[in-house]
Amino acid sequence: MRARVGVVQAGLWTLCVLALLATAGCATISPPQPWEKGQLAKREMQFDADPLDAKATQHIYTSKEGAGGGYGIGGGGCGCN
Amino acid sequence: MAPIPRAIEEKSSLTLFSAALALPGMLPLAVAAQTAPDQGVIALKYFDYRDWQPGANRMSVRSPSLYVLRPLSDDLALEGTVVYDSMSGASPLAFNTLSGASGLGVTDYRTAGDVKVTKYFDRFALGVGGAYSRERDYISHALSVEARTWTADKNRTFAFGLAGTSDAIHPTDRPIDNGQRRTLDFLVGVTQVMNANAIVQSNITYSAGHGDYSDPYKLLDTRPDHRRTLAWLTRFNQYVSSADATLKLLYRYIHDSFGDHSHTFELAWYQPLPNAFAVTPSLRYYTQSAADFFFGPPFGNGLVPGEPYTADTRLSAFGALTPSIRVDKQFDHGWSADVSFSYYQQRSSWRLGGSGSGGLLPVSARWISIGVAKTF
Repeated sequence: MRARVGVVQAGLWTLCVLALLATAGCATISPPQPWEKGQLAKREMQFDADPLDAKATQHIYTSKEGAGGGYGIGGGGCGCN
Repeated sequence: MAPIPRAIEEKSSLTLFSAALALPGMLPLAVAAQTAPDQGVIALKYFDYRDWQPGANRMSVRSPSLYVLRPLSDDLALEGTVVYDSMSGASPLAFNTLSGASGLGVTDYRTAGDVKVTKYFDRFALGVGGAYSRERDYISHALSVEARTWTADKNRTFAFGLAGTSDAIHPTDRPIDNGQRRTLDFLVGVTQVMNANAIVQSNITYSAGHGDYSDPYKLLDTRPDHRRTLAWLTRFNQYVSSADATLKLLYRYIHDSFGDHSHTFELAWYQPLPNAFAVTPSLRYYTQSAADFFFGPPFGNGLVPGEPYTADTRLSAFGALTPSIRVDKQFDHGWSADVSFSYYQQRSSWRLGGSGSGGLLPVSARWISIGVAKTF
């Protein structure tokens, strides 16, 4: 059991490191001109492109975990937390 | 463990999960839009949610929802959502022993909605929103205002938000023991276009509330009458031209005055496929410490009369993983459809950087969604 926990934690740390490396390696700061924003306008580049999915998913996590927040404000409270 | 009266246990399950699929709650600000949308959107989605613990099915929720975005003019847009939740099942086990009425059937429903109007100007936008949610024992009203302003090249957008929420709690098992909760939320955020293929967003939200945070259906549950939550969320989207795909990363830190501080990591990969299909596998990892006043089994352990106490396992120390997969399909004439599947498991031993709260059973959940949308 302890070994399995160690593998999971090692895997998660690896995931975090890979994510940071990907962020650092891929992203250069070179603000585009208006005619260079075609890719940015695509749906998959938007944050919360699917509002129904985003809200429902965040609520599921809010109902199962200690505290939520960070995505936005103004949605009101619930009896779930 | 002390037996929990049936009415208390049954209602606890409703309170715990009643809003699991409800719409009000964290209405995300539209972050990057600097002009009013030139197309409307109508979307329907159906969620099917279920959770369980070893040897016992817990709660099921079925939830149809509707989203509408409609341009009202060249510089004015209206958007809103409506949801109806239908719940059945039983509450999660408080600890590892079946107690009270856990496992017995309960049903409830919830209706909720929110609306927001946004006015766009040359270099800024203003939005006003409202949200309402009603269930048998909980009514919530919220109002919000938001402002966004952007640089001349529209590559950097700042967002500011303020929201107030008023919640009324009416426990169904007692006629006069009503409660209330007031919350103020603040948001400051920035969205930066890094290059033609990358965008990053970072938000800080601060929530200050006071009122009744104790669960009226949980025995001995006594929580502080105020709560301060600071959340820092950063998201990064990178188009990967070599694979014609999009990498999505997220990190969130939450500092909660209850003591349950948390870290969230998310990784998703959007991959277009032939015939206008796309697939998005993703993985989320969440880890939190326990609230200062959480005490694990046996029930009542650590209780000091007059001091905060809870045995709510959501305030324990644990880690959680959510692998998900989503498939999107684009059709002609603005139609699209999507289906997704997510599996969630929460274990004390998965807490990062330390051992979790001992003696607790893992919690598992899965949810499936099917959606269809049309632009007009």
